[in-house]
Order: sequence, then structure tokens, then C-alpha cells
Amino acid sequence: MSGWYPLFYREMLLFRRKLLKLGYLFSAMVVPIIYLIAFGFGLGGSVRIEGGDYLDFLLPGLVAMSSMNNSYTWVSSALNLNRIYFKTFQVFVQAPISPSSIMIGEVMAGMFKGLFASVLIIIVGLLTTDGGFLTTIFFAALIINCFLFANLGVIVGMRTKSHEDTATYSNFFIMPMAFFSGTFFPVDKMPVIIKSIIYILPLTHTNILIRKSTIDEEAVISLILLITFALVFFIYGSNLIKRYSE
Amino acid sequence: MIEVINLHKSYGAIKAVDGVSFSIGRGEVFGLLGPNGAGKTTIIKILTTLTKADSGKCLINNNDVAANPLQIKHFIGVVPQENNLDRELSAYENLLIYGMLHKVSDLKKKILDALKMVGLWERKDSIVAGFSGGMQRRLLLSRALLTEPAVLFLDEPSIGLDPQIRHQMWDEIRKTSIEGRTVIITTHYIEEAEALCNRVGILSRGKLIALGSPQSLKNCVGEYILEFIDPKGKLVQEIYRSKEEAHESAKSKNNNVTIRKSNLEDVFIKLTGERIE
Repeated sequence: MSGWYPLFYREMLLFRRKLLKLGYLFSAMVVPIIYLIAFGFGLGGSVRIEGGDYLDFLLPGLVAMSSMNNSYTWVSSALNLNRIYFKTFQVFVQAPISPSSIMIGEVMAGMFKGLFASVLIIIVGLLTTDGGFLTTIFFAALIINCFLFANLGVIVGMRTKSHEDTATYSNFFIMPMAFFSGTFFPVDKMPVIIKSIIYILPLTHTNILIRKSTIDEEAVISLILLITFALVFFIYGSNLIKRYSE
Repeated sequence: MIEVINLHKSYGAIKAVDGVSFSIGRGEVFGLLGPNGAGKTTIIKILTTLTKADSGKCLINNNDVAANPLQIKHFIGVVPQENNLDRELSAYENLLIYGMLHKVSDLKKKILDALKMVGLWERKDSIVAGFSGGMQRRLLLSRALLTEPAVLFLDEPSIGLDPQIRHQMWDEIRKTSIEGRTVIITTHYIEEAEALCNRVGILSRGKLIALGSPQSLKNCVGEYILEFIDPKGKLVQEIYRSKEEAHESAKSKNNNVTIRKSNLEDVFIKLTGERIE
């Protein structure tokens, strides 16, 4: 069995315990469902985007946002705590496994949690729409998004010097991305200067890709950018683990 | 088995380890003794691949720790000073994950043996967060022994334990050393170093200031200590080579005096003028 699996298995054991507490399920769903009710059902009745229902536009965006939040937050927060406070990260560093195995284990666990939270939103989406947004491209974009942001979670979890620092990264990077990267409205409605910044952000490209029903030039560019982001984050995260020293 | 050559490690302006060298033979129980901040834990962290040294060399079984960390990790076991068990997992799950990480064969049987050895089999399914400090230390020891390591590092193994549990822990450590394992212990408990170690290295402010068997170190400073309270209320300690010399000197004191055998703390005080705290 590969070196990453014990890390993943450990996270699943911890996740199973959390899952048995109702609070976890509720907290994973509450934010996107609030957005769904407020924007989708409240605002959505009077808004049409690209000639379609606002809810059809919003749902894939909410899945992208939720998968980003959960993949990123779980990994960055857990890694930071395990490294600084609980010291359980020492056990992985002192085990005869490679830094990339530690990286893969953490990322796989983050991806699982991101996909789990996404499935909850998709179920709610299926209750309120015809499910037309569920395409092959949708699932590919979702998996890449979880992978990318779990990698970013490892980087932040490894770099932060206290648990409060992870909240700072969230406030400066994750929160703005959630709102400006095309989750709630199309990016092309933004002023040109802001738009050029938004196009650098990975979630923007997930939101572009996740709403495509066919692969066109824009989808290919977004796909290439997402894969590039993910690989750069993976290499950087693995390097941080390799250079880890207390 | 283990060779540490001119090891240096600084944290900013603080020299945690300052040119330390020593070697440890196979099957030896070696103690690093010194007060808090002397550099004991930093040396252990460097030897166990957790911290990178600024300069110097560490060899375990002729493998360079810095150059071949993956190789080293196959034959070391570590009981860290700070509890790094997964508190939300059970005792069994903690050992299971550790065994999987180290690719231990026949894992379930070895977990059973390890938990029985430290008297925790009955509590195998209990969440570690509910364990007492002593139980958690015992679980850490059983986890470190699960891989049957050739070298066992124990960083302050009995810190925070009450005397009874501490003696139980010492028995476990003696048992593992009888099995031919090389054991390295850091401690600031004098009795622990004297009870367990064949040889001791005394550290002060990152430097190794003495090295030898507990008896030879004590012989160097004198085997008997005469203690009395001076008129200002201060504890005075005088060191003598023989019991007779100490008795002779005691006759000239007006105070109540105590004559006792010297210990490693006396060696430390003699060498540094400070106490081990």
C-alpha cells in the first residue's frame, strides 16, 4: 500500500467521528444553503443571466465555492493545528514515507471533504432544478477544484505560524475569490481593471469550466490554467514538507 | 551505532546546540542530562529527522541522518516530550495508523502485544483524550516499540508522571534495553539518569560538559557530600573523596550536618555552579 494511504485513512477515521455529530453536516451545508435561499430563491426570481434562470447559473457556482471552502479549510486548519498544537504532524515526518506521500495523503483527505460537501449541495440542487448542470465537464472541474484548493490548504497549513494566521489567509484570498470569481454573477460585468485581477484567480476558471456543457476554447484555457495552478501548488506544498524543520 | 560530530544548531541568536560530539555503542542506554533549555530535545529532534542541524554530522548505523533521513526512519522509535498522539482516535487506532505508516507486518498481533505490554489492552477502544497522563505516556512507549526499532529515543519519558507510574515506566525501558536495543534518554531527573543509563552526557547551554558512566562522573567530583545550613540560612554543600574525610570535617561544624553519597546533580553543580531544574 502506498505511503499516503495511512494519512488518508487517519483523516477518514476522524471524519467518520465528526460525521456522527449533526453539527458537522449542518456546518458544511449552512453557508451555501443560505446563499441558495437568499440569492437563488429570493433574488433569483427577478434576475435572468445569459437568457436562463438565475438558479441554473448559481448552483454550479455554489458547488465550486463550497468545494473550494471545504477542501481548503479542512486541510489548512487541520494541518496547522496538527503541526503547531497537537504535534501529530511529527509522526508523519518521522515515518519512512516521502514528503510527496504526506502531501498526497493530506490532499486526498481534503479532496474527499470538498467532494462530500459538494454532494450535499448537488442533492439540494437536484431538489430545486432539473439537474441539467450535472455534466461530465462539471464533475471534472469539481475534482480539479478540490485537488487545487486542497493543495493550497497544505501550503497555508505549512506556512502559517498560528491558527489565527489561517483565518487571515482566508479573509484575503478565499473570501474575495468566493464573491468575485463568478459564483454569484458573471465576471464580465466587472470593470476592466478588476476583471484582469479576477482572471488570475483559480476559482474564476473553475466557475468558467463548471458551467460549460461542451469544450470550447475558453474551457481549454481555463482547464490548462487550473491544472497549472494545481501542479505548482502541489510541487510547492511537497517542497514545504520536504524542508520542514522544527 | 550512533555518532554525533561537532553538532551546531541555533534559533536566532540562541545557540541551542554548540559543538556537541559523542558516540553511543550498540545496546547502550545513554542519557542526555541537563536543565531545561540545555539542548537535549534539539539533539533528539536532529537525530530523529525532525530538525535540521546548522552544521555537524549525525550518523546512525553508518547512515548520515541529514543525507538519508528515509533510511534512518526505518530503525528508530521515538517517545517525544510533547504528547503527539491523536487524541480523538482510540488507542488501537493510534497504533494502527502508526503501524501502517511504518509498514509493520502482522500488525494486528503486534498491536495486541504492544498494548498488553503497557497494560492498555482493556482500553484499546477508548478515545485517547480520556486517558490519564500516565496512560498516554505508556501508549506513546508502546507505539514507539511497535516497529521493534533498533534505536529508541525517549525524550523526557517520565515527565509529569507520579512516582509510582514513573517506576513502572522505568521497568518498561529496562525491559526494552535488555532486548539489546540502543536507548537514548533525555531527562532532567537525576534519579532517572542514574537508574537507567550506562553512560551519561551532561549538557549545559548547548555544550556537552561531561561524559561518562554515572559512577565515574561522581568519582570525578568526590563520592560524599556534606550538607549543612550556614548562619545566614543558606544550604552549603562540600564534596569529599571519602566518607571518613566528610565525617572529619563534620566534627568542626556547629550545625546539624548531613552526609550523603553524591549524585549527578552534584556533578552538574560542581561543573556549572548551577542546579538542574
